[in-house]
Amino acid sequence: MSQNRGRPYSVWIAGVGAVSGAGPDVSSTLDAFWNARRSPASTLPFESSIICPTFQVAAELPTLPKAVNRCRSLRLAMMAVREAMAEAEIKEFSGDERVGVCIGTTVASQLNSIPFYDAYRREGNPPLDAVYDYLHANLAQGVAELLGAAGPRMTIVNACSSGTDAIGVAASWIRAGMCDVAIAGGADELNRVALAGFWSLGVMSSRPCAPFDRDRQGLNLGEGAGIVVLESPSHAEKRNKNHGMELAGFGAACDGHHLTAPHPEGRGLDAAIRTALSQAGVTPNQIAFINVHGTATTENDRAEGKVIARIFDSRVSLSATKGYTGHTLGAAGGLEAVFTVLGLRKGWIPASAGFENQAEDIAVAPVRQRTAIDGEFALSTSLAFGGNNSAVVIRRSE
Amino acid sequence: MKSEIGNLLPPASVLGVGAVTPLGRDLQAIGEQLAEPAAATPAILRVSDDFLPDPAIGGRMRRADRFARMAAVAALDSWAAAKDACANVPKQRVGLIVASGFGPHCRGFRFLDGLLDCGDSDALPTDFSHSVHGAAAAYITELLELRGPSLSTTDFEIGFEQAVLLAQCWLDQRACDRVIVGAVEEIGEVLIHCASRMLGGERKFVPGEGAVFMTLGPADAAGLARLEAIAQPPEVDLMVLDVPANPPMATERPTIAARITTTFSPYFGHSPSSSAFQLLGGFLSLRAGRPLGRLVATASPGHLAAVDKVATFKPSCDLRAASLLMTKA
Repeated sequence: MSQNRGRPYSVWIAGVGAVSGAGPDVSSTLDAFWNARRSPASTLPFESSIICPTFQVAAELPTLPKAVNRCRSLRLAMMAVREAMAEAEIKEFSGDERVGVCIGTTVASQLNSIPFYDAYRREGNPPLDAVYDYLHANLAQGVAELLGAAGPRMTIVNACSSGTDAIGVAASWIRAGMCDVAIAGGADELNRVALAGFWSLGVMSSRPCAPFDRDRQGLNLGEGAGIVVLESPSHAEKRNKNHGMELAGFGAACDGHHLTAPHPEGRGLDAAIRTALSQAGVTPNQIAFINVHGTATTENDRAEGKVIARIFDSRVSLSATKGYTGHTLGAAGGLEAVFTVLGLRKGWIPASAGFENQAEDIAVAPVRQRTAIDGEFALSTSLAFGGNNSAVVIRRSE
Repeated sequence: MKSEIGNLLPPASVLGVGAVTPLGRDLQAIGEQLAEPAAATPAILRVSDDFLPDPAIGGRMRRADRFARMAAVAALDSWAAAKDACANVPKQRVGLIVASGFGPHCRGFRFLDGLLDCGDSDALPTDFSHSVHGAAAAYITELLELRGPSLSTTDFEIGFEQAVLLAQCWLDQRACDRVIVGAVEEIGEVLIHCASRMLGGERKFVPGEGAVFMTLGPADAAGLARLEAIAQPPEVDLMVLDVPANPPMATERPTIAARITTTFSPYFGHSPSSSAFQLLGGFLSLRAGRPLGRLVATASPGHLAAVDKVATFKPSCDLRAASLLMTKA
C-alpha cells in the first residue's frame, strides 16, 4: 500500500486544489492549459493610474463567516482547500485528528488598506473595520479555525517563494510526527499596493508576460490559491488510501546577496534544487520536467536559466506557467506545485504561454507546445525577494 | 484539549542569545534592571535608537528601517554570543526563522504616503522593498553570509512558539546544524492609535517593541540552556505569564504548578511576539539563578531558591504548543 515507505522524505499528496486566472478549479485550469488559452484582464478591480494586464479570478468565491468574509485571500485559499480536501476524500475534521495548516501569502499579511490610511492621515480617526479585517486575515489561523484543525500552524511570508516554503514546512511536520495531515500551499489576492510596489521596482510588463522569452519585459500580477493536502503514509494506510503522488523532496536556501535581486549565478537556487534532489534520492536526469518560477523579469529568468543549465541536461522539459496565471506572489509556489502534480498525473505539460523566441542570455527554453511527459519525478522551483529560494520534487508512484 | 505535538521533538540547545529591548541591548544590564521593580510604566515601551547602531552593520543597512535594524542587531548578537559553538559550522547549514505579528508596517505606511502623495506610479521602490515581512531576514542573511533556509512568518498569537518548534524540527531532521530563531516587533503611531481605540479602557495594555533572537543547536550541543515548544508546561520553578495586562487579571492566574510566577510585561510591554521577551526574562532568571521580573504569585516560601526550569504560559490561549520550556543546561 505505502509505496513511498522506502523513501525517507516522502509524504503523500492526497489532494490538490487550484484557483487562479487560468481557472477556478483544477479541471478548468487543465482545460485552459490544454488549449493554451490565457485570459489577462485589461482593467483592474480597483482604481489605479497604472495600466497593465493582470490575471484575475472571476469566479464566485465561497462565503465565509462575517468576521473573515472580507479577506479575499482567505476566500481564495478556502476555495482551493475545499477542492483539495474533496480529492483527498476528507469531508471535515472532527477536532481529534492532528491536522497542520501552513499557508504562504504576501498581501494578507499587511495592513495596507489605502482608504483606511488615507482617512487616518486626513481625519485622524478613521473607522477601524480595515484593522479588524487585517487582524482576522492571518491565513493559517483563518484556515485552521474554519476547518477545526488542531495541529501546528504557520503563515509564511517569504514573498514569492512562500507557497513552496509552506509545503516544505508542512512536510517536515508530518515527517516529525507532529501531524498526520497538513493543508499547505499559498494564497494571494490582487492588491493596489502590491501593484504600485512592483511598478515602482520597474519589473512589470505592459503586455501579457513572456517568461524566458528574448523580448520579455517583466511580470504581470495575478491572484489565486494553490493548495495540497499532505498525508503521512501511516495515516493514509489506516484510511486504505494510495494517492499515487508524493512530495519526495524539498530544499530551501538563501542567497544572502540582495534585498530584491536574485544572486546573478543563482547560488541559493542551485543549493535548494540540489537539496531537494538529494532528499528525493534522485539524480537530475531522473527529472521529467521542471515547472520553472519564470516571472518573465530579466534578472529572475536569467539567474534561473543559468542554474537549470548547470544542473540539468538539455533533455529536461521546462514548463513556464505564469503566462496563464500571472505572478500570484505568495500563491505561486502552491499553484505551481499543483501544476507539477497535474503534469505528472496527466502525462503532459502545457505550452508555455508567451514564450516565442529563445533568449540570448538564457541557455535553456520552456516548451512552446503542449508536450508529452513520461517520467516518475518532476521539480517545481521558486525564487523570491530577500534572496529566498526553494524547490520541491514530486513523484508519481502509481 | 490540547494536542501533544510540541512534546514529540528533542529540545534545542541555546547557544547564544541577543536582544534589543526597551531596557537596552546589554543582557547583563537588562538582567539587573529586571531585578529591580519596574519603573512607572509609560504608555508605550520603545527601543531607543541609541541601541541600534552597530559597527558590524555600518553602512550596509543605511536604507533599513528600525524594524530591520532591531532584528539584525539582535540576530547578530545571538550569533556572536554563540561564536565558539558555531565556528566550524558551514553557513549553508545555518537556518534562520524570523517571527513577527505586525512586520515592518511603519515602512509600509511610508510606502502608502508616497503612493497617496505622488500617485500609484511614483511611490518609492526602496519603501516597497523594505515593507515586506522578509526584509529583516534578507538583511540578516546578507550580514551573516548565511546560505541555509530562511523563513519569515507572521502570527498574532503563537508566532514565536511555532518558530521555535520548527527550529527543533529542522535540527532534529538534520536540515540544519544551527538555527537562528527570533521575533521582532515595531510599534508605530498608527498601531498605537488603533490599539488605544480598540483596547482603550478595557485593561492596562502597554505596547512594547524590540527583538529577541536565539542561536540554537541540536540537543547534544553544549549550550546555555535547553529550549522547547510544548503544549502544556510541566511543574516548573518559574512560570512566566505572557499577559497584556499589568497586573494580570484574576482569570489569567495559572493553574499549573510553579513555585514562583512572574511576568515581564511591565518591562517589555506587549505585542504579538511578547512571548520571546517573556522567554528572555526567563533566560536571564536562569542565568541569575533566581526569579526576576514582576512577582505575580508564590506557591511556597523560600522563593529565592535556585531557578533551573522556566516556562512561559499564555493563560488566554488554548492553542497547541503555546508554551516554551527552558531548562538549565
